Amino acid sequence: MALIVIAEDEFLIADVLSIMLEDAGHQVAAAPHGAAALSLVKEKRPDLVITDFMMPLMTGLELAQALRADETLSAIPIILVSGAQASIGRAHPDMFDAVLDKPYDETRLLNAVEGALAGRSTV
Amino acid sequence: MTQSLPRIISGVDGLDQILGGGFVEGASYIVQGQPGAGKTILANQVAFANVGAGRKVLYITLLAETHDRLFQVLGTLDFFDRNQLGVTISYVSVFQTLRDSGLSAVVELVRKEIARQGATLLVFDGLLNARDRADSPLDVKTFVAEIQSQAAFVGCSVLFLTSTRFADDSPEHTMVDGVIELHEEVPGVRSVRRLQVKKSRGSPALGGLHQFEITSSGVTAYPRLEAVLRSPSTQDEPSLAAVASGVEGLDELLGGGLPASSVTLVFGPSGAGKTAIGVSFLAKANRDEPALHFGFYETPTRLRAKARALGVDIDGPIDAGDLEIIWEPMTENLLDKLGHQLLQAVRRRKVKRLFLDGLGGFQRAAVHQARMTEFFSALTNELRALGVTTIATWELRDLFGPTLTAPGSELSSLIDNLVMLRHIEAESRYTKALSVLKVRDSAFDPAIHEVSFGNTGIRIDVPLPPVANAATGLATPLST
Repeated sequence: MALIVIAEDEFLIADVLSIMLEDAGHQVAAAPHGAAALSLVKEKRPDLVITDFMMPLMTGLELAQALRADETLSAIPIILVSGAQASIGRAHPDMFDAVLDKPYDETRLLNAVEGALAGRSTV
Repeated sequence: MTQSLPRIISGVDGLDQILGGGFVEGASYIVQGQPGAGKTILANQVAFANVGAGRKVLYITLLAETHDRLFQVLGTLDFFDRNQLGVTISYVSVFQTLRDSGLSAVVELVRKEIARQGATLLVFDGLLNARDRADSPLDVKTFVAEIQSQAAFVGCSVLFLTSTRFADDSPEHTMVDGVIELHEEVPGVRSVRRLQVKKSRGSPALGGLHQFEITSSGVTAYPRLEAVLRSPSTQDEPSLAAVASGVEGLDELLGGGLPASSVTLVFGPSGAGKTAIGVSFLAKANRDEPALHFGFYETPTRLRAKARALGVDIDGPIDAGDLEIIWEPMTENLLDKLGHQLLQAVRRRKVKRLFLDGLGGFQRAAVHQARMTEFFSALTNELRALGVTTIATWELRDLFGPTLTAPGSELSSLIDNLVMLRHIEAESRYTKALSVLKVRDSAFDPAIHEVSFGNTGIRIDVPLPPVANAATGLATPLST
């Protein structure tokens, strides 16, 4: 059981993702864009962040850069899940502990979550 | 001095013409239509055309549909470029912001996002949902006004997409600079897509309903020909020169040949020799007089075979590139698409000899028959102005009979020269006969002549022996 912050602007995906993670026994806090996710992370100090790429106000990459730049948050593992921009994520292996393609594959996602929580990188 | 407003391209063939040069820069438009009308494809095509022109685009959705599904659909279209996603074009959803924090929070977010992305085109997909969320119509008016003023402030153009049909006097309409409505109609059994610019501030748009289609290249619009070519695109320069018809004996009847840059209508029943006249005319093609066959009946291979059987060489001109054959099967056609295709083919090769086989193909494609006269006026005026000498055919329904209907009295008056072909029964044999009824600005031989097919195509022979009622096909010997 871990506390996970998800950053996803599309509510349908955010809802499905939350349910998936909650069913797997995790606690989820969702933010509708990168900027909101950053404040949520500062507030909740989660065990893991799962982020989309294209979002209002702050992209997933910008969120990861902000988290990595903050000493108190830089250790939090980050998973990027993206349709078209997964390659941009893979080009920044230092930013993401895992990069997954959309659409969501539940098994792969949960494996990546377990891996990231256990400290294994799967970029 | 009048000043024209700076524009951004739509990237949709025909739409810039309809809009009077494209979207006005920094202006906002509502694009409305039923689900499936093509709004999203249109807007994305505009978006990617502007990405291609070096702009940054922000695509904001208030839809339940995920962006991934949208990308899957867009992936089937030529203009979509996945590599631009998140780089020069960003798709972001503000649904949750709207749900959790209301319209004013969305406005604030859009303002920040335009600035952050440096966007000069904003697409806002799902204005309907903003309306559902608003407590009163005034709220949406304010919302639209705020979004567009934020955007205009930084020179960003806006397309609001909505599946509602806002009334013409709705507050949303009064706020925006332009309204484009997309329809899909089903007149009879076929469906026809049309678009209409219902409002266009600061720019004269072509009014009325314009046909469009959606293919793998996205949306293509076909401005109504009579609207876009209200006057010909170039100055008509009438000449007194004559153009050889290519038919043995016909030029003499016409008073020297076909007047250059004129339109000749050859009408008659099936089998009377209309297409034979056409191929003889086309066989005269050369480098200085490129020719075009634009037909609805014979495929290119059948037309070649037909010409060979007649002893007319069109293979030579085709192989030399002097003759092009365009075949548009008379199935489901769009009238204006045909018109634009024809003119494009004429302009592309600077065609001087055109054979249209036949006008009926255009008429069958028309959903609203009432506009045929205006359509043909625009088409024939443009052909004359382009210096094209045209022979068009019109098939008479009855092989024989006393009802001799010219193809619409108004249509006949748009035509410079009229040639009639008939089957005539006299003394227990059928004769093909040709008569010239009208030649523009020229004397002609009014006698009815027999037509025969020799070794080198159709030939105009001797005058018909004196009979009465030859024009009806039911000739009777003259009593002496």
